[in-house]
Amino acid sequence: MTDGNWNGGQIMSSLMAEALAVVAKDLRTEFRTRVSLNALGLFALTTLAAVSYTVGPYRIAEEDKAYLLSALLWIVILFASLAGMDRVFVKEEESHTAGLLRLSARPHAVWLGKLIFNLGLLAVLMLILVPLYVLLMGLPLKLGVGALVALLAAGGFALGVVSTIVAAIISRAISRGALFAVLSLPLLLPLLIFAIQGCSAVSSGDPEKLAESLRALISFGGIMLIVSGALFPVIWQD
Amino acid sequence: MRLEFKDLGKRFDDRVIFRKLSGSVGPGEILVLSGPNGSGKSTLVLMLCGLLRPTRGEIRYLSDKDEIPRNAWRHELGIVAPAMRLYEELTGMENLRFFARIRDLRLSDEELARRLREVGLDPGRKTILRGYSTGMQQRLKIAQAALHDPPLLFLDEPGSNLDPAGQDWLEGWVQELSKRGKSIVLATNDRRELEWGTDHVVLDG
Repeated sequence: MTDGNWNGGQIMSSLMAEALAVVAKDLRTEFRTRVSLNALGLFALTTLAAVSYTVGPYRIAEEDKAYLLSALLWIVILFASLAGMDRVFVKEEESHTAGLLRLSARPHAVWLGKLIFNLGLLAVLMLILVPLYVLLMGLPLKLGVGALVALLAAGGFALGVVSTIVAAIISRAISRGALFAVLSLPLLLPLLIFAIQGCSAVSSGDPEKLAESLRALISFGGIMLIVSGALFPVIWQD
Repeated sequence: MRLEFKDLGKRFDDRVIFRKLSGSVGPGEILVLSGPNGSGKSTLVLMLCGLLRPTRGEIRYLSDKDEIPRNAWRHELGIVAPAMRLYEELTGMENLRFFARIRDLRLSDEELARRLREVGLDPGRKTILRGYSTGMQQRLKIAQAALHDPPLLFLDEPGSNLDPAGQDWLEGWVQELSKRGKSIVLATNDRRELEWGTDHVVLDG
């Protein structure tokens, strides 16, 4: 029964199977309660409607479009995603299911499962939000749709990793709302800057700048993934 | 499997819950923890299963050969406790299936259905847990605790919310586990359950 008798491959495949069990459970409970999906969808559509109504595609000078529309897009993605993703561990604590989960699953299986769930949530959000935003706001895509998809994938991955570990930390704290903001800010700020720079490169047609932003986002996401993986068992169990 | 704890103390800030508790439980034994409300029975259970760290003292899980490390305790134990709930948005079957999968147990749906029938629940019931009575939820918690056939069981007020027939069933189940060599820690104030103990630790608050 102990992990020590297993080889690396068996441990990884069993870890992934356990993580997918956590994802399946979270998806099932989410589809029955729709707490995160509703929060996320409501925030995304409200901010999108407000931005497109007040700013729209015609009130921005052509030379400012790339930067301003990119910044607005990532602000909408960031706030909409945070509205749903910070709940992923808090709901386990609030419904008193965290104790049995701690005693039943390996910490890394829980972390991986919650991360995959959050990345899925983010993918759904982007799939609905971004095409609508591009259409309504007239965001030019001079490097093409593929470049935007690559940037969204790299930025979304880093955002998902950061949000998941911050959600785990705040679930163990008492003043959760304030703590989420304080912890998120230094972690999300560089990510947001790289993502906006990359998006404006896609929009203005600057492949070198895009490559630079993609490298920065992938490195940031990778580092956060390793740090989160090392940190999570301590946060989850102590 | 043997559980030993020595000179355990716990305080939350300035409030001392208990100072110096010692005890042990081995195969076929039932250690009863009793004491008035607020004396720290549930806190002690959480500490013994590794969810809370003691302020002082030590807890050891001993197998036939050597000591089991803390990060492997979860394989050795099952728990029923009021503070630990199952997923209210899932059915009984879905709950058991989830806990089997995250424990990497390869149990078929037929086997899980048998486990549900064993605790007096209908495996075909499609209602999510929110629609279960508290007694039915308690039976499902018991099924979950025994799912991986652990050598050590923590039962914190296991008879609460069970009807008289359920309490009779529980007594038979606990005695059967004890005969099969399981180590059982039972936190209770119920007079009937107090008599099941082979050893007692009284928390005086």
